[in-house]
Amino acid sequence: MKSPSGFAQPPRIAVWLLNLFALEEEGESVLGDLLEEFSILASKSGVSFARRWYWRQTVKTLPQLAGVGFRSAPLLTTTAIIGGFLLRKLVGPLVGPAMFAVLEWCKVYERHFTTYIFFASTGIDIAHLVTFLVIGFLAALAAKGREMIATITLGFIFASMAIVAIVYVVSSTGDSAILRRFPWYASDSFAIVIAGAIVKTHRLGASAGPSKA
Amino acid sequence: MAGRDYLGEFEHIVVLALLRLGDEAYGVTVRQEIEVRIGREVSIGAVYATLDRLETKGYVKSQRGGPTPERGGRSKRFFKVTAKGVAAVNRTHRALQSMTEGLGFARSYA
Repeated sequence: MKSPSGFAQPPRIAVWLLNLFALEEEGESVLGDLLEEFSILASKSGVSFARRWYWRQTVKTLPQLAGVGFRSAPLLTTTAIIGGFLLRKLVGPLVGPAMFAVLEWCKVYERHFTTYIFFASTGIDIAHLVTFLVIGFLAALAAKGREMIATITLGFIFASMAIVAIVYVVSSTGDSAILRRFPWYASDSFAIVIAGAIVKTHRLGASAGPSKA
Repeated sequence: MAGRDYLGEFEHIVVLALLRLGDEAYGVTVRQEIEVRIGREVSIGAVYATLDRLETKGYVKSQRGGPTPERGGRSKRFFKVTAKGVAAVNRTHRALQSMTEGLGFARSYA
């Protein structure tokens, strides 16, 4: 892919991912170095070879950037993760009762029974999803520059807890019906990571100096 | 043994690359120097993670250069080995030499 100026450009998604995981100052050096080598490789060995090299470098570099982010502020990152975890434990059990209280107050079941059934089942799942998204936003805001490592860790913790709970229920009761709930549990964890990516992308946009590509 | 640490394998390689490159040591040149001499593809992330660790230990120091157009307007970060870093390299070398001394297999790799 070439930019309007005629210069080959590295893969946009790879650049975006690197920006998501890098600290501001680290990102400037890493992205600058990768772009410099990418341009040399593209002119010597072709754009597709250079793009493949860029992706390989990105995949190997992302865990390193996450590690550097954590090591540079371990207390801040851990606080954001624990805060998000406790917030979820505090708010999570209130979502269902709150939803039923609203449905009761609106007396939906008297007038629109199908709507009531929807909100009392899928509606609660959606409310949980939104709750996880909000918790992801708060954890990412608290992590200040380390949004992805904080939200990925948080998402991983909740996903692991869901998997352990499902395995325990299935093995102790023999009832595999709970497996149908797994996509919802997985989406909850994914929502936290999405929130982290949104906050970081917004921060990058707000502090954009030079072109990020 | 604070301040008497030995360098890890990759730390050792990175510090030696910095010493070889002198004033021209920044991410791209360090990565390429290692790749050419060792013959293994190294990620830029691994290089920076190691350099950051070395900087925290006081073995290297970094300084920003000016932004350049071929880097999309981003600046280079140049690295230099400190006196403490040179001492760490020497200490590591001495330790390795003393450990390999008298071992027959070591000579076959020389």
